Amino acid sequence: MDRGLYIAASGMLAEQVRQDQIANDLANATTAGYKADRTAQATFGQLLLNNSVTGAAVGSQSTAVQVTSVVTDFTPQPLKDTGEPLDFAINGDGFFAVQTAAGTRYTRNGQFNADANGRLVTLTGDPVLGRNGRPLAVGADGKVDPRALNVVNLRDPRKQGDNLVAGTPAGQATGQARAGALEGSGADPTQAMVDMIASTRAFESGQKVIQTIDETLGKAATTVGSLN
Amino acid sequence: MLEGLRTAAAGMAAQQQRLDGVANDLANANTNGYKRVRVGFADLLYERGGRPTTSDAAQLGTGARTIDGGRSFEQGNLRDTGVPTDVALEGPGFIRIKLPDGRDALTRDGDLQIDANRRLVTSTGATVSPTITLPAGVDASQLAINRDGTVLAAGRAVGRIAIVNVRSPQSLQSVGDNAFVTTARSGNAAAAPGTILRQGALEASNTDMAQAMTDMIEVQRAYQMTSKAIQTADQMMEIANGVKR
Repeated sequence: MDRGLYIAASGMLAEQVRQDQIANDLANATTAGYKADRTAQATFGQLLLNNSVTGAAVGSQSTAVQVTSVVTDFTPQPLKDTGEPLDFAINGDGFFAVQTAAGTRYTRNGQFNADANGRLVTLTGDPVLGRNGRPLAVGADGKVDPRALNVVNLRDPRKQGDNLVAGTPAGQATGQARAGALEGSGADPTQAMVDMIASTRAFESGQKVIQTIDETLGKAATTVGSLN
Repeated sequence: MLEGLRTAAAGMAAQQQRLDGVANDLANANTNGYKRVRVGFADLLYERGGRPTTSDAAQLGTGARTIDGGRSFEQGNLRDTGVPTDVALEGPGFIRIKLPDGRDALTRDGDLQIDANRRLVTSTGATVSPTITLPAGVDASQLAINRDGTVLAAGRAVGRIAIVNVRSPQSLQSVGDNAFVTTARSGNAAAAPGTILRQGALEASNTDMAQAMTDMIEVQRAYQMTSKAIQTADQMMEIANGVKR
């Protein structure tokens, strides 16, 4: 069958993935320390076309489009003052280190609490680590010195959900922790709206291509193949 | 097919819950000793590829949820009332009370009264714990309450209002009537020596009206824009259905 059908369909599927990614950005438009994603596409397998009579090369054609990766933009975002003593934000690069059941994880969402043992924990209850790699204690005044928090650089950071990021630590970061503030979400709702429109239209174009190819095939079946 | 529908719906549900929190803060803008709620957000799990045209290196988020951040125990403004049975706490901590159902609880609402049995009670009928009974013949105007909580009736000490705090006030459970009860996560109540009582004053709610209004606008816009993602997903399904005419 005409390979254009499959190419157009793969393009439509890629736009669906992009739409899902935009929906996630919008859903997290107010999540502190959230980092926005970008969907990257690439052609999937090149095919060399030959003239079937002479055998001369015509050129290459891609067979489909594939979503190769969703890239996260870890650019620091503006900080918002909250006045809460246990809200922290990183001014600049870096991540807070958190001790979870699955090992050390990292986050830029510094909305923390104290637990029953007086340790600084995330809202999901995981202890936040200090510069010495041990959980931090909340002082008697209900505060923690932001300089005591460990702010580390990460190689290959990868989002894991629950505000956590996995990655390989690569030394102290240049960013400074600050108390009484939270980092804004990296999702840009205006950009998301524009991307959503562009994506829908690209999806629609894919539909038109399929319809056109279908019409051509229809002609081949009814007009060309007609016996009268 | 179009997980984005559910992703967006999760985001909308999270915004709705945050709005409930803001609404509660606004409704309690004039409640003595009220502490505003603290709502946190988190992204949901990420799923990998899983489709023929998506590489495994690509991971897709599935929305957002709210997390309970407890309350913000920022000090509320003190308001002078001149009423001798009114007390306000300055600094972190709570007054220990016993709820009418017998449970121990904590409150920052110092709008105290003298009940028919001459005991010091809160405005909702919970007794100050340990119970402080005023001797007969002493009226409210002869009452003096010291900074450390000692209650003097006509110059004679009759008891002490317990000022206590817990390790994690954000993990206290709110039981309504301005009262909180301790939980396993909050730790037990222990004396809070640095906190003082001020007689003749009340602590106002710490709801910040301007902040609540801004939050409300932010919630509404985020809700609206996330709903557009649902509309778009719907539109795309319509287009997909239109492939076969």
